[in-house]
Amino acid sequence: MLGLDSMESDDAALVTRVLHGEVDAYGALVTRYRDRYARYAIHMLGNREDAEEALQDAFTRAYRSLTRCEEPERFGAWLFRILVNRCRTSGARRVRRSQTFVYDEGALLNASEEHPAEQTMWREEIERAVGELSPDHREAFLLKYVEELGYEEMSEITGVGVSALKMRVMRACDRLRTLLREVHSA
Amino acid sequence: MPEWGRTTLEMVVQELQRPVRLDESFERRVMVRVRRLYAEKRRHRSWWGAAAAIAHRPGWAAALAATIVAIVTTGVITVRPHAGRLAVGTELRQFVLVMPAARSVAVVGDFNNWGLGDSTLVATNHQGVWSVTAQLPAGVHRYAFVVDGKQWMADPTAPRSSGDDFGMPSSALVVEDGTK
Repeated sequence: MLGLDSMESDDAALVTRVLHGEVDAYGALVTRYRDRYARYAIHMLGNREDAEEALQDAFTRAYRSLTRCEEPERFGAWLFRILVNRCRTSGARRVRRSQTFVYDEGALLNASEEHPAEQTMWREEIERAVGELSPDHREAFLLKYVEELGYEEMSEITGVGVSALKMRVMRACDRLRTLLREVHSA
Repeated sequence: MPEWGRTTLEMVVQELQRPVRLDESFERRVMVRVRRLYAEKRRHRSWWGAAAAIAHRPGWAAALAATIVAIVTTGVITVRPHAGRLAVGTELRQFVLVMPAARSVAVVGDFNNWGLGDSTLVATNHQGVWSVTAQLPAGVHRYAFVVDGKQWMADPTAPRSSGDDFGMPSSALVVEDGTK
């Protein structure tokens, strides 16, 4: 399992350097976590612009509160919790603005290497299906299967009980299967 | 199209786990914000560091407080009264003098016949900050503070009067007619 605990072990050293005034050491932490966490934010928020904004905000908030990071060796997990909360806020704003999730196809195309057209179509279908999940279900699904977190860790990050999270993941999986089956049977 | 021999869930997860790459400008943007925060924090820390150092020296703290109050409040301040409470053509002015060591402070001027008779404006003491408010007619006035009933002094923050009355230093004050 990948999990957040398996992140680089020298986070603590970088955090200590930053706290001692070596501000550029924070750049190493940004480089270390930006791509992986950008993936979560893009899937969660549905477009690159909002995802980058949320991630920038999370990094900035983390820097501002760095003295309150009680386990510097788990900086990544702590940052991720900030990002998850930030995505929730951003998601709530989006829902208020519009009930429709609009995915930025360019973000998906730019997100990885070149792919055949049919693969791109499949990816778009998946992104649309994920976008149709409720925010709670989407969050639980992404944390469980894409970020490969354990339920205890998910519970710690989200503040939601393990049973509720299991239920959300199960429902998210069922909904995705239904949505993707509909696409292929159409 | 996907190979349907594999489970849908596996394929979905595989796609969603594809790496995302942000360009380097992202890191630069974050670091611009972070460096700005760092600079703000340093400025903040140096200010509070200085304040804390002074707080450990009561004498300095008192001097600093007096200086700050003096800069802000010594002099003559326009006071806004409730509507309709002032006589036409007059304005309220508050005279303020910071002098913690004084036992009494009064204001004398041409508007109260230089304190002759019972017309002296006696200031009240607020922890070394003496103040009194007077209703003055529009025009140019001369005035002075009288400390401890004997020390006559001009207002250190106001222009000196061109002709000192009684051979004593005094200050000039212009009260504009607010009705015009």
